[in-house]
Amino acid sequence: MAFSRDSFVLDYPEYFPEPEYDFSKNKLSKEKVELGRALFYDPILSKDKSISCSSCHSPYNAFAHTDHDLSHGINDEIGTRNAPALFNLAWQKSFNWDGAVNHLDMQALAPITDKREMNEDLKNVISKLQDSKIYPELFYDAFKDSLITGEHILKALAQFQLTLVSAHSKYDQVKKGKLEFSEQEQKGYKLFQKNCSSCHSEPLFSNYKFANNGLPIDTTLNDFGKGMISKQRTDSMVFKIPTLRNLSYTYPYMHDGRFRKLNQVLKHYSEGISKSKNKSSNLKSNIELSSNEKVDLIAFLLTLNDKEFVFDPKHQYPREVLLSK
Amino acid sequence: MKIIFFLSVLFLSTAGTATLRERHIQFDLILNKEQIELGKRYFSDKSKDSISIDAIRFYISDLELFLDEKPVYSLDKKHHLIDLEYPESLQLDCSNLPIKSYNKIKFNLGIDSTTNVSGAMGGDLDPSNGMYWAWQSGYINFKLEGISPSCPARHNRFAFHLGGYQNPFYNMQKVELLLTETKTDLPKINLDLDDFFNQINLKENHQIMSPSKQAVEITALLANAFYIQI
Ligand code: HEC
Ligand code: HEC
Repeated sequence: MAFSRDSFVLDYPEYFPEPEYDFSKNKLSKEKVELGRALFYDPILSKDKSISCSSCHSPYNAFAHTDHDLSHGINDEIGTRNAPALFNLAWQKSFNWDGAVNHLDMQALAPITDKREMNEDLKNVISKLQDSKIYPELFYDAFKDSLITGEHILKALAQFQLTLVSAHSKYDQVKKGKLEFSEQEQKGYKLFQKNCSSCHSEPLFSNYKFANNGLPIDTTLNDFGKGMISKQRTDSMVFKIPTLRNLSYTYPYMHDGRFRKLNQVLKHYSEGISKSKNKSSNLKSNIELSSNEKVDLIAFLLTLNDKEFVFDPKHQYPREVLLSK
Repeated sequence: MKIIFFLSVLFLSTAGTATLRERHIQFDLILNKEQIELGKRYFSDKSKDSISIDAIRFYISDLELFLDEKPVYSLDKKHHLIDLEYPESLQLDCSNLPIKSYNKIKFNLGIDSTTNVSGAMGGDLDPSNGMYWAWQSGYINFKLEGISPSCPARHNRFAFHLGGYQNPFYNMQKVELLLTETKTDLPKINLDLDDFFNQINLKENHQIMSPSKQAVEITALLANAFYIQI
């Protein structure tokens, strides 16, 4: 990341596309990013001050939730889903497994409010922050206004999350010509390009569209994904295509966390594709993969792990700020 | 000419002392031919039923005045949140606008789709106003909550949270109000909920919380309940 006096430039490789996020409406600054970071780690956002964003999105898991297949703590709809990893969010067009949230700014509203409707809840958060020792000053530093508003809370949280850029994996080093794939990884890369990249497209490893990848419905959850939001039959069992970066940190996999291991995922793609009518045309039937090919493919997927991102202290709990409360 | 002179004198003589807006478009919310008071019970002879309103909030956007189909002026502020809990919100400030003749008013009831996908905003659009859905993006265009004995829900409560910015459930409604004659003084716009409650059946329809076809139909009924008070 590069710092100038108050602007903050998002650093990303030149082979990344232009971000989707409109930075002109929320110009990055160091102060806003740091305010967002404090809010992200502060349980003051929850009603009983017990849960923060990082309770479900841990930095050491590339900001996913690994202990549980389903995240707990918020309303029913959200409680039926696995908390996704958070990085490269500036390139994403819509959020959540079903795309119900249309803008990164607005994402924080769902977890902040534990009821179906927000009503007074964000107002409560505002008054708790306004009464705190540290926040009026942090908001002043960031927005030149110590009067805290919903808009400013959401924009600061978005800013911190926008700076979570993962682009230092082995794959990235190979792209930049600094490292080379092993023979096995190279074979896996070819298999990946043939079978997976129509949906998990490089370099972000998702085209961030929605698809039905042939998972059978879990009848204990009956989660129909995008179909429950759009109320269109063609969207039934359609979910956001997730990125495949940092898979070693983000297990379990899929919207409901049904698979704990990558070989279970490959077993699904090679043997378990359901006959659902809505299935993507990029995945008509089981993908043929020998057991050697599966090993090669996994070797390639592991080159997408970005240790530098996962252990970057800039993204971790802001001790200096939060412990001074 | 006479009218204009009179108005501007009035304006000068009271400027600085008055707390209410000098020139404004007033919205009045009506039930049983009375201005609604929150929490008050209104009895309807026709339906032998009573209704009380606990919350009524809605967005008015892109308000424009026209003279013979030509735009005369539009308000600087694009979106207004009208909330009966805050009486000053029922007056849309027009103090910077010139006095001109007009015979038609147009506005939108609700928030357009571009604004709905533009991220966090402040003022009347701040999500802390309770007019933004948390679990699915989008503004609530119209919130109407209250109690009526005929409503079979828990504690006889009805709650309409009407919104939606995507087809096929695009919820925003255009409202056009024609005047019978050309005027220069600013309009009082009434929203008459008698019409509205006569057209819906609270026994069947008492809770809407997400974008749907029914939400569009109910918002259209509300859009039809606006008229100019002469
Ligand atoms: C109780 C656990 C929990 C907490 C607390 C939580 N989240 Fe989440 N988060 C989730 C789950 C589960 C999803 C997926 C929801 C879905 O798809 O319906 C999610 C989704 C997201 C997404 C969308 C990611 C994507 O790729 O679509 C973002 C961004 C996000 N959360 C940010 C936050 C922020 C910011 C906070 C704090 C204000 C927060 N979360 C608090 C569980 C949580
Ligand atoms: C038709 C598009 C499509 C194709 C082709 C495809 N996927 Fe997926 N993939 C998806 C979707 C959609 C999901 C999320 C499904 C869900 O959670 O319900 C997903 C999820 C995953 C996940 C879980 C990620 C996580 O964080 O939970 C992995 C791993 C994965 N795919 C690997 C692959 C591999 C490897 C291939 C090629 C063999 C492949 N995919 C081919 C659409 C596709």
